[in-house]
Amino acid sequence: MKRQKRFEEIEKRPVHLDGFVDEWPEEGFVAMDGPNDPKPSVTVRDGEIVEMDGKTEDEFDLIDKFIAKHSIKIENAEKVMAMDSVKIANMLCDPNVTREEIIPITTGMTPAKAADVICQLNFVEMMMAVQKMRPRKMPASQCHVTNIRDNPVLIAADAADAAFRGFPEQETTTAVARYAPLNAISIMVGAQTGRPGVITQCSVEEAMELSLGMRGFTAYAETISVYGTEQVFTDGDDTPWSKGFLASCYASRGLKMRFTSGSGSEVMMGYAEGKSMLYLESRCIFITKGCGVQGLQNGAVSCIGIPGAVPSGIREVLGENLLCMMLDIECASGNDQAFSHSDIRRTERLIGQFLAGTDYISSGYSSVPNYDNTFAGSNTDAMDYDDYYAMQRDLKINGGIVPVKEEDIIRVRNKAARALQSVFKGLNLPEITDEEVEAATYAFTSKDMPDRNMVEDMKSAQDIMDRGITGVDIIKSLYEGGFEDVADAVLKLLQQRIAGDFLQTSAIFDKDWNVISAVNNSNDYNGPGTGYHMEDELWEKIKNVPMAINPSDV
Amino acid sequence: MTEIDDLISKIVNNVQDASSSEPKPEPVKQATQALNREMTRDDYPLFQKHPEMVNAPTGKNVSEITLEAAINGQVKPEDLRISSDTLKAQGEIAKNSGREAIKSNMDRAAELTSIPDERLLEMYGSLRPYRSSKQELLDIADELQNKYNAVITANFVREAASEYEIRKKLKGDN
Repeated sequence: MKRQKRFEEIEKRPVHLDGFVDEWPEEGFVAMDGPNDPKPSVTVRDGEIVEMDGKTEDEFDLIDKFIAKHSIKIENAEKVMAMDSVKIANMLCDPNVTREEIIPITTGMTPAKAADVICQLNFVEMMMAVQKMRPRKMPASQCHVTNIRDNPVLIAADAADAAFRGFPEQETTTAVARYAPLNAISIMVGAQTGRPGVITQCSVEEAMELSLGMRGFTAYAETISVYGTEQVFTDGDDTPWSKGFLASCYASRGLKMRFTSGSGSEVMMGYAEGKSMLYLESRCIFITKGCGVQGLQNGAVSCIGIPGAVPSGIREVLGENLLCMMLDIECASGNDQAFSHSDIRRTERLIGQFLAGTDYISSGYSSVPNYDNTFAGSNTDAMDYDDYYAMQRDLKINGGIVPVKEEDIIRVRNKAARALQSVFKGLNLPEITDEEVEAATYAFTSKDMPDRNMVEDMKSAQDIMDRGITGVDIIKSLYEGGFEDVADAVLKLLQQRIAGDFLQTSAIFDKDWNVISAVNNSNDYNGPGTGYHMEDELWEKIKNVPMAINPSDV
Repeated sequence: MTEIDDLISKIVNNVQDASSSEPKPEPVKQATQALNREMTRDDYPLFQKHPEMVNAPTGKNVSEITLEAAINGQVKPEDLRISSDTLKAQGEIAKNSGREAIKSNMDRAAELTSIPDERLLEMYGSLRPYRSSKQELLDIADELQNKYNAVITANFVREAASEYEIRKKLKGDN
């Protein structure tokens, strides 16, 4: 065929590097409303669910069994299941119906019913519902802080940088697993330097992650994965009961925790049982509810490429965020793993959660250039900061961060690097040189960092565990190094673990350690003039982007 | 998989070494009983509204956990733990805020505070698929109930044992 020149040119656009596939329901390549999804149903006998979504009790798999027993408000189930899904969908996006009125309905549904309700909503209706249904009134966001060389000094500087911009939660992970204790300490010290009150996590293997928390190196955990089919759950080396037990382990040590799930994981792992992504994700959300876990990271997360490739996939992703909120669970709404080469589609991916506002709009905005993102890159990274600030300013949206001045960022980066230097000195870890502090202060990426002896660092990471170092030792080192204010921030963080206020739904801290959660900041949206409104002080900050020209200067 | 198992056993050994020298926790001060009523969302945040109730399992009040005390070696890792009473109180607050499921998790967590770190990690490992026989799970449930008075969690483990048998998730089923 003779090529039409315009078609040839369009094919060079970045969107042509993205993956798109046709629906293939038998293998789970269908976003929502799948032809093999069960019809919603429930039968309650003697206060127990004996039939659910087309299966009788003896046909229940492990997930059905767990959900039937732990996840549904049985006293409301039959009444709610008899309601028209369109009517419930209507209540969700109707500003006149409050969240408080809807929760008793949505928590009495079965997974298939919840998915069916979501299927009735278009994208804008979902956004209207999210605005009302997110548990915490004030929206926020979360960031990644990593680098591909696991350089601790750079992690500390980057954590301070991100904290100063306003992320109340920060997540790191490792390029090399053995670095975990060092990365956990580095992000914690850096974050408390940048803005006291930030909580940090280090995403590693489940038992290791809990152990880091027990020692006081992390304050919360998020990558506790649940899946929507029994086979994939088993392949993930857990069951709903082991995950429920693990959830209680975290709480018993005063650590905040949320689960992670997300559409596409079952397709990726090969056992979707022919069901739609939304239905399987619905089951994950119900498992989370049944475990009594306060929150969930969902919205396809690291499997975004799968829903992103099928029709209505990005709508489904917002739908699963909404479903999480409908069950009164904190939602960290994805927007993390990179999925598109097209800047237009990256914005499309973000826009639903960004405009409506969620507990954490992104559950991993890459606060470092994606080159250094060891979570395989994020939908938005450090290079997008000024675009993001402009969007907040253009639309008067609190997207979770505020514009900053270069000199302030240089100051906090430098202080964090020096604070970590003193911690390494105090704990007898391999020296952090002044040259490294300087490099971390001004670095673009880890390429700008002097080489460290990685073998020695890894040995010292193990040594931290062997010697039984805890948060108290870090406080001492900071204090002895002259960082009394950072020492005090780490102490306050450990105090909060005794009080447990941040174990409640959607909890974050402000800079003065005031907890802000769904308990004391519950979403009361009820139409224009209600719900979240940006306070004047924050709006002044968001307006004040350094790139704006002051007319009086012209 | 073996790497993870190695790691866990290493952690377990580490913690055992550390904990063997630790002093036994002192008797727990009763926190919630002081008020003699269930906590509500109006009692939240506990840290601000009821600081006198915020005690570590060692009995130390959060107000005693000062920077000075930490620097002088007067704060032990056990002083920085959440107590069973505080978890129960947070569970009551969650329930009063309409989140009963969270209370069930907090109630289990309250029971688990007295179990040493290493044993807790082992129990979690035993609940993973194909790790334990039914009897081994039932033994853990008995241990939870008899040794740690963790009745709610014991029943949760018994339920798992019975479901694992039906759905073939016990040792040897894979």
